Amino acid sequence: MEILDGIVKAFQLIISGDPRIFEITLRSLFISSAATLFAVLWGIPIALFLGTRNFRGKLFVKGFFNTMIGIPTVGLGLILFLIFSKAGPLGLLRLLYTPAAIIIGEAILIMPIIISFATTAIESVDPEIINLAKTLGASDDQASFAVLKEAINGILTAGIASYNRAIAELGIALMVGGNITGWTEVLTTTISNETAKGNLELSIALAIILLALVFGITLITLAVGTLRRRRK
Amino acid sequence: MNWIAELKDITKTFNGISALDNVNLQIRKGEILALLGPNGSGKTTLLKILAFLEKPLKGQVYFDGRKVTDKDVKQMRMESTMVFQKTVLFDTTVYGNVAYGLKVRKLPKKMIAQEVRRALKLVKLEDFEKRQAKKLSGGEQQRVALARALVLNTKLLLLDEPTADLDPKNASIVEEIIATVNRELKTTIVMATHNMFQAKNLPHRIALITNGKISEVGTPAEIFGRLSKTLASFAALENTFTGDAKITLNGTTLVDIGNDVEIETTAQSQGKVSVFVSPEDIILSKTSFASSARNVFKGKIVEILDLGSVVRLKVDVGRPFTVQITKRSFNEMGLNLNAEVFLAFKASSVQII
Amino acid sequence: MKTWIKMIIASSTITMIIIAGTIVYLQYFARRRLMISTTTSLDDTGLLAEIKKAFEARYPITLNFIPVGTGIAIEQAKNGDVDLTLVHSPSMEKTFLEQGYGVCRKIIAYNFFTIVGPQTDPAKIVGLNATDALKSIAAYGRNQTDPRVKIWISRGDNSGTHSKEKSLWTAAGYNYTILSTESWYAGGGGKMGETLLKAEEFAAYTLSDIGTYLKYSKDGRITLEAFITEEKVLLNVYSVIAVNQTCHPDVNFNDAITFIKFLISNETQQLIENYGKNDYGQSLFYAAIEPLKQSSPIQIVQWIKEYAFFNGSECPEEYRYGQLDLYD
Repeated sequence: MEILDGIVKAFQLIISGDPRIFEITLRSLFISSAATLFAVLWGIPIALFLGTRNFRGKLFVKGFFNTMIGIPTVGLGLILFLIFSKAGPLGLLRLLYTPAAIIIGEAILIMPIIISFATTAIESVDPEIINLAKTLGASDDQASFAVLKEAINGILTAGIASYNRAIAELGIALMVGGNITGWTEVLTTTISNETAKGNLELSIALAIILLALVFGITLITLAVGTLRRRRK
Repeated sequence: MNWIAELKDITKTFNGISALDNVNLQIRKGEILALLGPNGSGKTTLLKILAFLEKPLKGQVYFDGRKVTDKDVKQMRMESTMVFQKTVLFDTTVYGNVAYGLKVRKLPKKMIAQEVRRALKLVKLEDFEKRQAKKLSGGEQQRVALARALVLNTKLLLLDEPTADLDPKNASIVEEIIATVNRELKTTIVMATHNMFQAKNLPHRIALITNGKISEVGTPAEIFGRLSKTLASFAALENTFTGDAKITLNGTTLVDIGNDVEIETTAQSQGKVSVFVSPEDIILSKTSFASSARNVFKGKIVEILDLGSVVRLKVDVGRPFTVQITKRSFNEMGLNLNAEVFLAFKASSVQII
Repeated sequence: MKTWIKMIIASSTITMIIIAGTIVYLQYFARRRLMISTTTSLDDTGLLAEIKKAFEARYPITLNFIPVGTGIAIEQAKNGDVDLTLVHSPSMEKTFLEQGYGVCRKIIAYNFFTIVGPQTDPAKIVGLNATDALKSIAAYGRNQTDPRVKIWISRGDNSGTHSKEKSLWTAAGYNYTILSTESWYAGGGGKMGETLLKAEEFAAYTLSDIGTYLKYSKDGRITLEAFITEEKVLLNVYSVIAVNQTCHPDVNFNDAITFIKFLISNETQQLIENYGKNDYGQSLFYAAIEPLKQSSPIQIVQWIKEYAFFNGSECPEEYRYGQLDLYD
């Protein structure tokens, strides 16, 4: 059976420590981590604002971010491609077909996830926590951090969910990254390209790694969460 | 200067609704001052202003002789702390909760551990350090919140209804802690309550507050001794009724509290009075029986409140009485809503206030 | 100032530091790099990987090939997204030069396209020339009654191969626009390798460059047979063109010229000619520099000049950008 044969060969490829597989996996991890870092850096303050304040149009803003979670990646990829290409407004930054472009694109893609989840987590924190912290001597900033600490479970879940989304997405990495060998090849784009070229062992090998990463990260999170609960 | 804090002409509104109206109050150093008033009278708002969690719309707050401005607020919060009516806990251990304020004050770790242990001992929760605070019983949680505030040794301690949702055992522990802390550490305490009984026994002074205004301030003896109209209007308070008193031929007083309900009391009084019967003094039975109790009424159970080891029932005998019995009795008697019961209490249990 | 605002300020600062750091790194510490858009057939055969290895062993410059198909490759070159382009469509290249976007064109290799198809050869094209073969295929296709049956797969992607295919159909007397909509004709094949795999799936005919065909055949991915090749009309010429520095000042022009010189050097020309000889029994690509210089073999040189020269030269003087030593 060709498929089983392919899977066996794929495992052999992985175990042999094939350098290309190693390089692509590392690059995927690096790019997704950087994207998640930026999404968290910018998303958490926005979530803090949305989660602790009421203003007219708040529902609209929250709805906007919720909708953005489902944005088709090729749509976003196209928009960014147009912006980054030489003909576009940010063309002079020469970002097209660089890992940086993928990082930016994926960060934009996953920021709505962080904002949505984190805002919900922060909103479900008892609003009196802020007064509690203050009456125990906390400054306004310390009180805000106390709120964030109370919401940490939801925030962590948001972070993991976005990381998985980033590492598994194809559209943006393909369109603004270009899948250039040795430079912007990531797991998803390589799987796509090599499958079309008929190079199935490599594709299957990378797919196995990708699935292992996504499942692995999710399992670790669940385990950590359960351990923390059990400690209580 | 033996005022620790003073409120001058304080007015506060929320969304146009007045919460405090021209309040003037002085807090003496080392005293326990009770704010007595029904729900919604502004007690919480007043406490929050003293805790510097709310800013008054009009008026000035003085602390330790100095007028408090906006820039002082952060510093003032270190000197005055408040325990909320509904217990708020951080999602961490008892230790984590109690230590929070000390960590904010950047105390060294060893000292924090020491102080936390001391505070937990005060509230009788010595071995609870590693437990998850949110998993404790209601009474234990409230004591954790208390320890968390006490450990800071602030100049002013503000308590909002500290025993309102507690069963008698925990309530008396908390009252004992309040008394001890004030007596031994000389902590100035302002506590809000709507429990007359508590207001009578615990504080040095009482301030009566209704509709955002302070009507009277005085010692318990003074306040309860006078026939205070304000007191009388606390109709929402448990087992407090206003009525017409008439001295009877055999030396007792009959008070007509309306709806054909007449209470006999050994206290002497005439005219318009307020009377109070403690829930613990009322005996509940399913059948009427002959006893020395002068006050016996038949009624229906209209409300049941399960507090764990005790059950609080509201019985309508024409006027609503709150009665407290043990859970065991409740189960053994097989009571439920609308059950017909009898209330009995001695004439000497009725207090005229 | 509210906490969240402070956090945003902190995030902005951190982001700017990271961006500044990255820019500094890329400007001063990163290796020089060349971005080259290419046709897919050069990539699918693995030749580009070999060239990359040889070049990077000699020069401290990283080569990044972007195999996208000739049409897109030229677009990217026009936009200045790349420094060079390696393509095989003389008509598109001519326009590219004339519009002023490209300079310093050099023809570096050639091979032939081939019409491949299922071993059973239902359209009976064996032994025919290209034009007649296509006529036979079209007739066979039009005879099909089941619209799901596909007789011809086209790349349909504006690539060099696709241009060649279009010109062949037109030369055979067909109106391409109409022909491509007929039910037996399947467009959208994609890259060369993909198209071959699809032709294999459908047991259909297609036009392929000999290089990609041989690789996929040898690797056992297809069982199609190459029926017709080595004809004038099936000539396939690969050229490299640099992006005009005047149009896009920030392209890596100097390194681009270095790369062109590398491609036309004897060693690289040998590499190109030898590539695949061992594995496939024949060259996948033929070196073009020597033949053009020596004008031999005469037949091939004639065909190249007719097919891929503009105004009698592989690169008319006005497009040489002063790089006189590239040309003799």
